[in-house]
Amino acid sequence: MSASLATASTVEQALAQLAAGARPVAGGTDLVVGARQGKAPLPERLVAIHRLAELSEIRESSTEVALGALVSHRRCSESGTVRDRLTALADACAIVGSIATRTTGTLGGNLMNASPAMETGGPLLCFGASVTLRSAAGSRSLGIDELLAGPGRTTAASDELLEAVSVPLPPAGTGSCYARLEYRRQMEIAIAGATAVVTLANGEVTDARIAMTALSPAIGRAGEAEAALIGSGGEPDAIRRAAQALAAAASPISDVRASASYRRAMAVVIGRRAIEAALARARGEWVPVPASTALHGGVR
Amino acid sequence: MTATAQRPRLIRQDGREKVTGAGRYTADVVAAGQLHARFRYSDHARARILRIDTSRARELAGVLAIVTHEDVPDVLYGQMVKDRRLFAREEVRFDSDVIAAVAATTPEIAQAAAELIQVDYEPLEAVCDPELALEPGTPLIHERWASYEADETMERDGNVLGRSTIVRGDATAAMAGADVVVSSRYEADGAHGVPIEPRAVLAQWQGDRVTIWSSTQTPFAARSGVALTLGIPESHVRIIVPLLGGGFGSKCDFHFEAHVAALARKAGRPVRLVFSRREEFVAPDHRRESIAIELQTGARRDGTLVARRARLVLDAGAYCGEGGFFAQLAAMHAIGPYVIENVDIDSRLVYTNNQPSGSIRAPTAPQTCWAVEQHMDELAAALELDPVELRRRTLIEEGSESPTRQVFGPVGIRHTLERAAQMIGYGQPLPENEAIGVACGWWPSFGMPSGAYVKLNGDGTATIVTGAQENGSGAVMGLPLIAAQVLGMRPEDFSILCQDTDAGPYDSGSSGSQTTFNNGRAVAEAAGEVAQRLRELAAEQLEIDPLDLELAGGEVRVKGSPDRSVAISELAAADAEILGKGSGAVPEQPACSPDSGCLGRLGMESFLEPQLITHAVHVRVDPETGVVRVLRVAAAHDSGTIINPIGANGQVHGGVVMGIGQALTEGMALDGHGHQRNPHLLDYKLQTAADAPRIEIAWIETPAVNGGPNGSKGVGEPPSVPTPGAIANAIARATGRRVHRLPMTPERVWEAGR
Ligand SMILES: Cc1cc2nc3c(=O)[nH]c(=O)nc-3n(C[C@H](O)[C@H](O)[C@H](O)COP(=O)(O)OP(=O)(O)OC[C@H]3O[C@@H](n4cnc5c(N)ncnc54)[C@H](O)[C@@H]3O)c2cc1C
Repeated sequence: MSASLATASTVEQALAQLAAGARPVAGGTDLVVGARQGKAPLPERLVAIHRLAELSEIRESSTEVALGALVSHRRCSESGTVRDRLTALADACAIVGSIATRTTGTLGGNLMNASPAMETGGPLLCFGASVTLRSAAGSRSLGIDELLAGPGRTTAASDELLEAVSVPLPPAGTGSCYARLEYRRQMEIAIAGATAVVTLANGEVTDARIAMTALSPAIGRAGEAEAALIGSGGEPDAIRRAAQALAAAASPISDVRASASYRRAMAVVIGRRAIEAALARARGEWVPVPASTALHGGVR
Repeated sequence: MTATAQRPRLIRQDGREKVTGAGRYTADVVAAGQLHARFRYSDHARARILRIDTSRARELAGVLAIVTHEDVPDVLYGQMVKDRRLFAREEVRFDSDVIAAVAATTPEIAQAAAELIQVDYEPLEAVCDPELALEPGTPLIHERWASYEADETMERDGNVLGRSTIVRGDATAAMAGADVVVSSRYEADGAHGVPIEPRAVLAQWQGDRVTIWSSTQTPFAARSGVALTLGIPESHVRIIVPLLGGGFGSKCDFHFEAHVAALARKAGRPVRLVFSRREEFVAPDHRRESIAIELQTGARRDGTLVARRARLVLDAGAYCGEGGFFAQLAAMHAIGPYVIENVDIDSRLVYTNNQPSGSIRAPTAPQTCWAVEQHMDELAAALELDPVELRRRTLIEEGSESPTRQVFGPVGIRHTLERAAQMIGYGQPLPENEAIGVACGWWPSFGMPSGAYVKLNGDGTATIVTGAQENGSGAVMGLPLIAAQVLGMRPEDFSILCQDTDAGPYDSGSSGSQTTFNNGRAVAEAAGEVAQRLRELAAEQLEIDPLDLELAGGEVRVKGSPDRSVAISELAAADAEILGKGSGAVPEQPACSPDSGCLGRLGMESFLEPQLITHAVHVRVDPETGVVRVLRVAAAHDSGTIINPIGANGQVHGGVVMGIGQALTEGMALDGHGHQRNPHLLDYKLQTAADAPRIEIAWIETPAVNGGPNGSKGVGEPPSVPTPGAIANAIARATGRRVHRLPMTPERVWEAGR
């Protein structure tokens, strides 16, 4: 049990608490559930940040969307701009846990928990998102790739609060998708996940960003897979090569959820499906959000 | 009876409190000054205990009592075989054997103290594979097995805890003469019941008497266990069951009540134990048994089943618990509801160092049925017969004789087959990767002692006081209908009180699909006593012979002249106490005369009023990933007359979804050393609401002759029996490949298709 829990009503209060050694708790769906499971005991000192309205906003401009750290998965996946322009992120948020988890769990918590199976990491990485970290001393901005340091680890200092995630809007002609292997229809954990963000100009892939989730110790982009796609017309052969390159870059493990060989085979399948759906969206075709649900059961 | 749609719909009384969170479960009960219990479990699946040192744990501030084997009488317990101690003494036999229990002021202190208990072991090689456990030279899990007190029908041999053989005719010769012979081997992993409420126990002593609140399905069994293991009279033990958050069999029998009572006695304070989700997975002596199933069937060209040979090896785990009858039950399921001319079935229940097996919703049936029904489809393919057609030709009907020579009365299994096939649209063209599979199964009704009181209240309502419990089966929902029928009152005039072991009548508890079946008869009898008393009272008032009176519309009235009547409420208000009690005569087991050579006869060699089921499922397989989605299920059941359709339908919905879980995602993963790899809900994957398919239900009401009230049979367990088999057959049709291991996880489906 935590020795103390304070509820911050201003960001300054929260920062003061952090400086004094407290850990923030947002939705608690990682922190509290993890403690109950015996992953790690609850920290001695907690500061609840869920009342901080300024961290709950979604701010949109012509060039980017800034998502407050407290924006829930549900709100994120229901945002029109996120669905239209950052579809892979909507795909990801829409499949987190169950409706209860999505209503309670936050984007900031998802990132700061830094699980290699986290849903939003791949899309945010591919979209080139950055985060604002603030401490009593000031604030700084970091790319997602600079924030995530490994399983359960970030480069944020313990007195830093994640304020917001800024996601630049991709150019017109971009389609994106995040797909995950799902044994059942909700309450899943990624066993193999893939993000694809592709930009088409005159039928040619001018940019491709592809990342895998839960297939290596950290969520990371697969350069070879991207290269296999760029310059192609997104034809099946190019897609296949890209998916295979993605799988080749994976370092899957064997555990109770799946064997390494199954995971690697699924990297190809899920990677291909994510790329196909991203291309379809880039062409203006309709693929429902979340894509995973539709992709399973052999739609493609 | 009227069509099920027109019958009254009695909605469960505990529904609202459960879904709104208002329900108060055992873990919510608080006794003033209570302490918290934690257990120290064994660290090994098999080891000799050299020393248990509790001194450091005792020194921890906040620790008030620690209990080990030294604090309780040296007593062996177990319903069918007395093979277990409350606290391990010389040897641990699975990784959650309890070595000590701690009571402290907070659960955290109790946990810390449990970890401080020093246990020195001599680790021994764990025997975790039941087939290996059968081999000569394998260490004995229970070296003194032969000396244990046990049900005399248990066949003892090495690590074999129970063996059942069913032999009829000459299977070998018949097999040799068959037109087609098919052989298969299937393996089912263990599984769990996973009640959403983890178990909890609170014990409080007053002098030499103890009151125990426990989340048990069977309070009277718990009472006996406490009395036996603590060496106190049963009358000194009172078991109270607060609202139960599910059981599925896993909360049957005596479990941890005595451990907590021993702690409370030593601490001199009330003590409460609440299990974590992990403990709920690893510690109870209840989980679904893994089974290795070898089948061989010979048939004539026309489908006639001339011979079946079956070899089954069931994992009993470390202790027998109440699961000693599993070998025989599995043997009966290896035959199934089919006419087979010659059989040779050999089923062995084997001790290992795994978690003990115990009843989980229809023990042994879903797994064995899954294997047998796949095997039947394989046979149909070899015969070039449609699988439904093969079943049509081979299922039992009225007058059929079982291999143990039980002659069946009216049985609706063939109707269930036709209805399920019709509801699912069997034979329709389907898109690629989709298919329909069909499976049939059966499950006995169990006649057991039961008890109920019916108490008329002064305001003209009545209370049914039952010794049975509501474990989620909804069985008690139907009781008011039965009492109302006897008393000419409205079902809503009755409230139900599930009573404790001191205040309530004796009952076998809420288990084995038998609550309405048995408790219904008890309630009818109790209501009959009340009716009799009412007739006597009314007869005095109306100055007429009681035999000329009838009970209807809330009145006692003269037959033929309904205006001469007296209201039941009036009689109730006038008379001091109108109380009826009933237990109901337990129906006799149907006659059978098994051939000599049938071993391990525990009374299940004939099936009392079998419940008969066909499930047809429509699935879609994603061949690239092996992910299977169940799109639709048609469930046709003969459970006799249905008393409360809404309650019965609820059992089918729940049972089918549980069956889908067993089929696809729910399996106990073991590491080969006796430890579970997925004792948590993240990786032990239950089906969720989003996974539930459309489920259509048909009740084939074949009134039971020798059954429950109004010709009813049981309902609770059968809905999960044939679901995995039907899904397996659908997968095989969709992919052309069979999956030989349960659960049929995406990876296994994918592997089979490579
Ligand atoms: C049933 C269930 C299903 C789930 N399914 C999924 C799933 O499908 N996919 C998935 O990715 N995750 C899943 N999760 C995990 C979890 O819900 C998400 O990661 C969620 O986004 C965490 O957000 P939270 O607000 O609840 O985090 P919290 O538990 O409050 O915090 C998590 C961590 O982040 C830190 N933190 C939180 N906010 C900040 C901040 N603003 N600044 C600095 N540090 C902060 C906390 O100190 C803590 O270390 C599931 C969880 C549950 C219980």
